[in-house]
Amino acid sequence: MIRSFVRWLRGYVRLCVAGYSPERFLNMCCFHQLFIWGLEPTGKGYGMYMSVRDFRKLKPLVRKTHTKVTLEGRYGFPFFLARYRKRKLFFAGLFLCAALVWGYSLFIWDIHFEGNERYPDTTLAEFLKSEGIAPAMLRSRVDCPGIVKAIRKEYNDIVWVSASIDGSRLKIQVKENEDTFPEEETLTGEEAPSGDDSGQKGTPAVSDSREERPVDLVASADGVITEIVTRSGVPQVHVGDAVKKGDILVLGRVEVVNDSQEVIGYQYHSSDADIFADTQMEYTDTLDLAYQEKVYDGKKKYQPFLRLADWTVSVGSVRNKYEHSERVTEETQVRLGENFYLPFSYGMKCVKSYSLVERKYTEEEARQLLSLDFKRFCEDLEEKGVQIRENDVKIHLYENSATASGTLFLNERITEESDTEILTVERKETDESVGTDD
Amino acid sequence: MEREQIRERLASAASMPKDVVMGASVVTMLGDFEACIENYRGIAEYTDSLVRVQTKGGQIRVTGRRLQIEYYTNDEMKVTGKIKTLEFIDGRNRE
Repeated sequence: MIRSFVRWLRGYVRLCVAGYSPERFLNMCCFHQLFIWGLEPTGKGYGMYMSVRDFRKLKPLVRKTHTKVTLEGRYGFPFFLARYRKRKLFFAGLFLCAALVWGYSLFIWDIHFEGNERYPDTTLAEFLKSEGIAPAMLRSRVDCPGIVKAIRKEYNDIVWVSASIDGSRLKIQVKENEDTFPEEETLTGEEAPSGDDSGQKGTPAVSDSREERPVDLVASADGVITEIVTRSGVPQVHVGDAVKKGDILVLGRVEVVNDSQEVIGYQYHSSDADIFADTQMEYTDTLDLAYQEKVYDGKKKYQPFLRLADWTVSVGSVRNKYEHSERVTEETQVRLGENFYLPFSYGMKCVKSYSLVERKYTEEEARQLLSLDFKRFCEDLEEKGVQIRENDVKIHLYENSATASGTLFLNERITEESDTEILTVERKETDESVGTDD
Repeated sequence: MEREQIRERLASAASMPKDVVMGASVVTMLGDFEACIENYRGIAEYTDSLVRVQTKGGQIRVTGRRLQIEYYTNDEMKVTGKIKTLEFIDGRNRE
């Protein structure tokens, strides 16, 4: 395949050799390293193919062997060019094509993101656009280290970024921090807690100031403590203790006592602990058995359209006199590659007519719907890290409604932050000692 | 003939390839439609039913139908077509 392409590129000819001893001619060709292929006997002599370069060396051999060589055909690229040499526009097109390919390759046409799960492509693309990086920009203007820095600065929980140019595509690979708990995510965004171990360069000043704010941990719900791991602060409860909502679990205030066990001052900390407790939660979900169902009667109207910036062309109309109708518009914006959107879109408007019919769920349907809802509720809880130990949720059916109700027995993290009460020690000398302690 | 025999013995004793030592031609057949010949002197005759190839020790005769030489270089040639027979003829005895 490649060999025949190379032959075509260099050009080759078909010869017919006739005369007294064409075999001698063949052997001499061989001897002089002239490559022959497609050799076949014809009526008068032999037909064969030979490259143009070899054909030029043939003259002395022909004279020596007294054979007659006739040229039967010319093939390949050099002959193709020679045949069409007068078609100037064709060559101009060829040149223009090459020039355009080169010209277009100077620009970035696509931005590709990899490894992002929490931040969608569009979010990252918008951020890059605000940084002045968008498709159709010059390749030479792209500053990869700058992009990396900007992304690391903007997004705290992207722990690794790499930007590289791959042809005319800007490839951005990111690695998100997967260790942060979903509950702590809100904290990560707002106040960079000490639990965030991503080691951001830009944040220590902030976290320092936060650490100084004294914080207690209080119970966010009633329950019985099952596990307590304290990292800072003074625990106020033990495993097995029953706590009420608002009770202090870990105190952020540490007493400083002197040799005679008198309190002479306080040190304040931001408390940090993992505390799990068995809690209970009431669950009720009511479903009306009567409902209205949409029955489509098959009447539809379509209106396809093309949109170029603010200018729209459409065919047909969706105006109607239906009593109830549903309108669906689908619009697709044309794009090159993954993230280069053109100001051009197409779509379809569709109106469907329907009528409302009063229906009633059967017992079985109501049961299914309620248990599906309950299942989803449980999945949501488990996603938040709550463990469900037991539940006694039952479904009760009434004349016009159905209810699922009962109690869920859970095991969950019950800590909530609240400011520590600042106490002052009245004696004068202790105030000084507090000052020296700090 | 003496020399030939000595060479053959030498080749088998030293376990050297005979095509190199004795200049024997190598014929590789693929089914009955392809024959690859190496170590030859030249073509003696070529029609679409007969190819005679001159080698060091004699001639190789390939007969068949629609014979065609796919390529022909200084050290290798390939004959394709419907091959019927392949004979080795001792050139000197025949002449």
